[in-house]
Amino acid sequence: MSIITTKNLSKEYSSKSFSKEKILALNNFSFEVESGEIFGILGPNGAGKTTLIKILLGITHRTKGEVKIFDNEINTEAYKMKVGYLPENHKFPNYLNGEQVMQFYGKMSGMSSADVRKKTDELLKLVDMEKWRKTKIKKYSKGMLQRLGLAQAMINDPELIFLDEPTDGVDPIGRKEIRDILEDLKERGKTIFLNSHLLSEVELICDRVAIMHKGSLVKSGRVDEITHISDNYIINCSDVSEVIMNKLMMNFKATILSINEFHFKTDNIDELNRLIDFMRQNNILIRGIQREKNTLENMFINLIGSQN
Amino acid sequence: MIFLTLVLSTFREAVAKKIFLGFFAISTLIILIFLFLINVESVEGMVDMMGAAGDEGIRKLVIGFEVAMIDISYLLIITFCLISVSSFIPSMLEKGNIDLLLSKPISRTNIILAKFTGGVMLVFFSLVYLIGFVWIILSSKSGFWHFPFLYTILWLTLSFAIIYSLIIFIGLVSQSTILSILVSFFLVFIVCPILYVREATIFSLVENNVVQFIINFFYYILPKPSDINKITTNIITGEEVSSYMPVFSSVLFMLAVLSASVFYFKKKDY
Repeated sequence: MSIITTKNLSKEYSSKSFSKEKILALNNFSFEVESGEIFGILGPNGAGKTTLIKILLGITHRTKGEVKIFDNEINTEAYKMKVGYLPENHKFPNYLNGEQVMQFYGKMSGMSSADVRKKTDELLKLVDMEKWRKTKIKKYSKGMLQRLGLAQAMINDPELIFLDEPTDGVDPIGRKEIRDILEDLKERGKTIFLNSHLLSEVELICDRVAIMHKGSLVKSGRVDEITHISDNYIINCSDVSEVIMNKLMMNFKATILSINEFHFKTDNIDELNRLIDFMRQNNILIRGIQREKNTLENMFINLIGSQN
Repeated sequence: MIFLTLVLSTFREAVAKKIFLGFFAISTLIILIFLFLINVESVEGMVDMMGAAGDEGIRKLVIGFEVAMIDISYLLIITFCLISVSSFIPSMLEKGNIDLLLSKPISRTNIILAKFTGGVMLVFFSLVYLIGFVWIILSSKSGFWHFPFLYTILWLTLSFAIIYSLIIFIGLVSQSTILSILVSFFLVFIVCPILYVREATIFSLVENNVVQFIINFFYYILPKPSDINKITTNIITGEEVSSYMPVFSSVLFMLAVLSASVFYFKKKDY
C-alpha cells in the first residue's frame, strides 16, 4: 500500500527577491513510498531532496502537482499528527535541556503531559541520552543533538518519519546505533523516509531508493536491484608468467591488473569453470574468486556523471 | 493545548533570555524608588498638607503620582519591552527551528497568534506587577483606593499589543531583530509624536492642503500610542475623553497588520 504518492510535483523558486527568473527545484517529480519500508532519497547537493521533504511536510508550498499522504491532502493537522521529522541542521531552543526539548515537541505534537513523560523516558533511553536529560542542550555535541533529534522525531509514535541527514556528525558507533533504531522502527511497521549523503549507509538500511538530479527523478527501485551483482569476477592467484598472461588475455578476454590479479567477465558459469581448469592445468594456485558487486556509490557516481 | 504550549514557550524564552528578570529588576527598582519617595519627610509633609485640605487634596495628590507613573510605565514599555520581544519572531524563523515548528499539527495562523498572545501576556503580567505594587503602595499610604488606576495595565498592554503587531510583521518579512527595533522606535518616538501634535505645530507651518491631507492620512492609518496614553491619563484623572477614535483606529491597524502577517506567513516557503 502506498503511503506517499506524488504526481508531477514541481517547485519553482525566484532566483532573487522580486526577480522573474525562476529556478526549478523540482520538475514533474512522481514517485511512491510503500507502507512499512525505509525509503532513501539520494542526489547531489542542490538536487531538490530537502525541497521534496519540505513539500511533503507542508513547510514549502508546491508550485504544481499532486501529493497524497495517508490518502489525505498534506497540511492538515490530522496528517501532521501521524508524522515525525528530523530536519537537517535542526535548531532546538538552546535554553532547554534534553528532557524539556522532548516535552516541548511532544506537546506541540498534541500529546498529553502523561504520554509525553512516558515517551520521553522510553526514547531518551533508546537513543542513549538518559544521563544527559537534565543537561542544557547548548552543552551537547553534534552527535548528542542528532540522537536527541531522532528521539524528538519519534515522540508522537508517528507512522511516517522523515529524517534529513540523521547521522550527520555522528561517530561510526553512533551511526550503527541509529541504523539499529531505524531497523527496529521498520519492524514495528513504521515507514521511514531518509535523506542521507552517506550512500553506504543508505545501501545498508534502505529497501528502496530514488535518485534525484536537478529536481528530476533519475532512477528509482529496490536497493538490491540497483546494486545487482555484476558479471565481473575478480580472480586472485599465485604469480602468473607472461605467457599465461597473454593466453588469459587472448583466449579469455581477461583484464590483467597485476601478476596475481585479473578481471574476468562472463555470464556463463561453464566459461568460468573452463578458466579455472586452464589455470589449474598451468599450476596456478587460485587464492580467491569474487564476484564484483556494484555499490550504490559506484552506481550513483556513474549515473550522476552521465547526467552532467 | 498546542496553542497554549507555544504561548508558554514564549514565556519560557523570555525567562531564558532574562527578559522577565530584567523587567522584574527594573520594575522593582521603580517600586523601591517610589516607596522611598513617598516616605521621605517632604513628601509625607505634602501628604499631610493635602490631607488637611480634605479627601479632594489626597485624591489630587494620588492621581498626580499615578499620571507620572503612566508616563514612566509607557517609556519603560517602549524602551524595554519592544527591544526584548523584537527577537521572538526572528529567532522562531531560524533555519532548523521553523522547519520543525511547521511540521507540527498547528496552523500557521495559530503560530502567529500564539507568538502574539505570548508577548502580550508577558507584558500584561509585568505591568500587573509594576502598576499593581505602585497602586497598593499609593493606596495604603494615602488611604485613597483609586481603582481606575488599574485600568492603566490594560491600556498600556493595548498600546504594546498595537506596536508588537508591527514588530511581528517586520520580523516576519525581514527576519531581523535590529530592523524590527529600529522601525518600531522610529514609529513610536518620531512619527507618532509628530503626527500627534500635527494640528498644533505642523499645520501652523504648512498651509498646503495636499500636504495637510497626506499628514492627516498617515495620522489616521498609523497607530496612535501617544493619543492612547493621553486617553489613559484622562480616564485616571476623570477628565472627559473627547474621542475614542485613536483607540479604534489603532486597534484596526493592529488587526490589519496581524492579518497581513498571517497572510505573509501562510504564503512563505521555509
